[in-house]
Parts: sequence; structure tokens; C-alpha cells
Amino acid sequence: MDREALAVAVSEIVLRHLPREAPRGALEGVVADLVRLLESQPLQEREGPGTRHVVFTALGRNRTGIVHAFSEVLAELSVDIVDINQTLVHGNFAMMMILDPSGASVSFEELRASLKRRGEEVGVLVFVQYEDMMRAVNRV
Amino acid sequence: MTYTKREILETLRMTELEHFDVRTVTLGISLLDCAHPDPSEAARRVYEKLRRIASPLPAAVNATADDLGIRVANRRLSISPVSLISTRCEPSAYLEIARAIDRAASEMGFDFVGGYSALVHAGFTDADRALLASIPEALSSTSRLCSSVNAGSSRTGLNVDAVRIVARLLKETAYRTRESGSIGCAKFVVFANAVEDNPFMAGAFHGVGLPEIVVHTGVSGPGVVCEAIKRAGPCDLRTLEEVIKRAAFKITRVGELIGRQVAGRLGVPFGIVDLSLAPTPELGDSVGEVLEAMGLERVGACGTTAALALLTDAVKKGGAMATSAVGGLSGAFIPVSEDATMISAAREGHLSLEKLEAMTSVCSVGLDMVAVPGDVEEDVLAGFIADELAIGIVNHKTTAVRVIPAHGKRVGETVSFGGLLGDAPIQEIRTLSCSGFVGRGGVIPAPITSLRN
Repeated sequence: MDREALAVAVSEIVLRHLPREAPRGALEGVVADLVRLLESQPLQEREGPGTRHVVFTALGRNRTGIVHAFSEVLAELSVDIVDINQTLVHGNFAMMMILDPSGASVSFEELRASLKRRGEEVGVLVFVQYEDMMRAVNRV
Repeated sequence: MTYTKREILETLRMTELEHFDVRTVTLGISLLDCAHPDPSEAARRVYEKLRRIASPLPAAVNATADDLGIRVANRRLSISPVSLISTRCEPSAYLEIARAIDRAASEMGFDFVGGYSALVHAGFTDADRALLASIPEALSSTSRLCSSVNAGSSRTGLNVDAVRIVARLLKETAYRTRESGSIGCAKFVVFANAVEDNPFMAGAFHGVGLPEIVVHTGVSGPGVVCEAIKRAGPCDLRTLEEVIKRAAFKITRVGELIGRQVAGRLGVPFGIVDLSLAPTPELGDSVGEVLEAMGLERVGACGTTAALALLTDAVKKGGAMATSAVGGLSGAFIPVSEDATMISAAREGHLSLEKLEAMTSVCSVGLDMVAVPGDVEEDVLAGFIADELAIGIVNHKTTAVRVIPAHGKRVGETVSFGGLLGDAPIQEIRTLSCSGFVGRGGVIPAPITSLRN
């Protein structure tokens, strides 16, 4: 189910439960139905079919401003950050982002080149790849 | 997060630190429609078809590799066994086709094309004989052509006449390419039970049962398996098999992903993933190192065959769960000259040809990239090949020999080919005569296990 269909389904539920003279407790009903609907959706479909996410990883010495350096580039290119996570491995900094490039103003190649360029400027290693390999290797 | 931190970092570790790459994307092309009684016309058709079909492959592979963040080491072609392209049955006719293939490959930037081949496991056609006679000149006058002969099968037995012809052409090829370490022989392999969909060189050819065009992939990844074994520490053998299976699963998934995406870009069917662990001479990319990480002091020690049996089985099981398109040779390759650990074990005298022969009964192929003294007798070479092929025929598996009788070299010396082919130490081969046996000629009949219908 894509986002639009999901929105329609949500509206239908709300209309069904909340007529003009909505009784008390109707909100709980709406929530319960919504939870049931969302739980029945497989993870990938919940995020929309067609969305081919990009996994972006930056590795290097920890220093201030790294996240900002990259989120600035992503904002300029209209790339949506779906998820972000970071960790320290033996004193080194590892930042991972899941990106949705579907609304981006540039192609995948240009996005990768921009992030690599910024990586060189701030002195960290940058890997940009479609999520396909992560999915193939880690999901059955 | 859609993927955990650990999953992302582990996947990057495979590709960035453990030498994981997809060893080859091989485009199989049927050339059967290029037949023509005039060899020049047949050669022209072959050249044009290769250029037309194969030109888009490198760009498609590069784009896919960039999208996914994975290296693809080689882009290769496999073609119909050339002896099946009907033309005038003379060696010179096939040489013309050989040069056309080499020229097309060189212009498009493919390092190897496999399929200058004849399938003679149950006898020779006139075309087979003409092609076999042309092999030494073809291998010494081209640089990218790979040649193979299927000399036996579990259904038909062993064509010892073909084995003797192969021994003769190996000696001649070694002599003709003596200036470069007899490298011509490194581009030739003799098989029992050759498979139709092998993407790896030198034994690839596009079988007659395959579609017009097809994309195969051959995965690699001894480094990934080796590191997984080291991380597992001193676990018991059942756990060790589980560790290898998991690594093989991941490797295979990537191989299939690449193959399907390249096939999609080219608009041709996807064929198979060959699950073989294939080493390169680079450090950390060695099957020998995997065996030593399993607990052997050196490859060649007692226990080597058992360890290789476990490794091959685990790779197959993990891979078979990862894809429903398993094919090719699928197992573990043990080419001596292409594997740093095997090279040093052979140099130090730990890895004899006899031990290698035993290992081939449980690995995916056979005696691969071994070098023997250049003055080895033809019949000894024929006996050496016949032994190896007999193992495959009786055990219903593929076996093969890629041996370099290095011209002018003696035991203890080394021939260097450079690149993926590596360095081969000249190994001792028993010189006792077997002429009274192979000299009888004819065919060793198929084993009783061939009667399965």
C-alpha cells in the first residue's frame, strides 16, 4: 500500500468512527484500527513500493560538525533523510544514513559525487550505495 | 533504522577489508548461427555478432557495480564450442575464427573469451579434429582466447585418444609460448563432465542447451570466509561448517543480485551463479589460507582433504539457500599458481601433485594451474590427465587439468605469468612410464554407475 492509499484508508477509518456527534472513547477506536492496519503492512510496503533507498556511510576520526557537513549537502540537493544513526568504533566515528533520493534535484551519480567531495573536505571516508546489497545480504 | 548499524558496518567490512568482489560477470553468446562454408565469412559473422551483442556489457556491469557499491573484477565472454560452428574442416579455417574472436575481445576490452572448445568425450567429428590440431597455434597467436576439451564423461567413459592428443598439443603449446613461461597452456583446460554454464576461465563455454544470450556470475570471497573462520575461534567442526555456510550465503546473494541487475540492464535472461570460492594471488584472497585458518599447519598436511571437503560442502549448502540459480562448477577452486598460500606450500615441498590429486576428489574442479618440468614425456602427461579425469568420471563430478609443462624449466624453478594467473613453482611429477597403458589407445568404458535409467 503506498502513502496515498494509506492516507485514504486512514481518512475512511476516522470518518467511520467520528461522526458529527462523536461519542467518548471513539479516539481509542481510531487508534486501535490504525495500529491493526499498520501492523498488517510489511515493512517495505509501509515505506512505499518504488522507494529505493540509498545507504550512506561516513567513517573517520571523530570531530565536531561532521553530521552537519553532510546534512547541509543533502538539504541543498533535496534528499530526504529517512533515518540516521552513529556510533564510535575504536575511537573512530561511523555515521550511517538511510536516504530517500526520490525527490532529489540530482541523479544518484551526482549525489554520490557531492557526498564524496564533502567527505574529502572534512576528511572522512564516504560510501554511497543503493540499499540493494544490504537487503540481499541481511534479509531473507 | 531499516538496517542496523551492525549490518551496515559488516557489509562494508566484507567489501572494503576482506577483498570481497564478484569475480566475473560472464556473458554467454551462442555463435551457432555464424556457420558458413567459407571460413572468412564465418569469421566475419563471429566478429560482428560478438561486437553487436557484447559491446554494452562493460558499461552495464560498471553502472550496476557503482549503484551497489561492489567491485566486479572481470567481464568475460563465453561462446559456443567453436568446433560446432560449421565451416571448412581444416585447422586454418578455425584459426581464422580464433583471430576474429581475439580481435573482437581486444577491441571491446575483455581479458578472456572462453569457448575455443571441442566436446570429444565419445569420439571426434572431422571438425573436432581440425580444431584440436589448430589449438597450439591459436593459443600462441592470440592473447585473450581460452580453449578447452571435454575428453570424458560419466555417461560415456574416458576418450584416451583425446587425452593423448591433448598431451601432445600441451607440449607443442608450451614450446610455442616458451618465451613467456609457456603461458599458452594456462589458457587451456581438459575436462571430464564439463558443465555448459561455467562462467570461469579457462574452461568457460556456452553450452548447446542454453539460450541465445545469457548472463552468468561467478562469485569469489575466500577472504570473507577466512575472516569469518578466524572470528569464530576454536569452535567445533559442526559450528565451523555453520560459520562458512553463513558467509557463503551472503557472498552468493550479492552474486545473484549483480547478475540479475546486469541481465535486466541488457534485457537478456539471467543464467546462474557459480558459488566457487576463487582465489587470486593477492594477500588475503586465498583458499589455502582458509584451509590453514581451519587449523592446518600448512596446506598439504594430513587433514587437508577432509578440511577441503568440509569447506566445499559448506559453501554449496550456504550458496544453495541463497539462490535458486546455482550452476557452473560451484565449490572451491585450488589453482596453485593463483593462490599465495598454495604457492608457498608447493615451494616448500608440503603440497605434492599426489596430495593435490586427492584434494580434487572433494573440491569443485581439479588439478589447476600446476607446472611440471618441460621435459615431461607426452605419455606421462597423458597418464597424469587420465588419472584426474577418471576421478571425475567415476564420482559423477567435474574434474579438469590445467597443467603447464614449462618449456626449459626444471623442478624448483618458477614460471611467472603475472596478474591473476600468478606464479607457478615447477613441481615434481613421477616419470615412471605408463606408455604400455595409455599407448593402447581407445576408450575406457563408462562406469557401471552410468546405467541409471
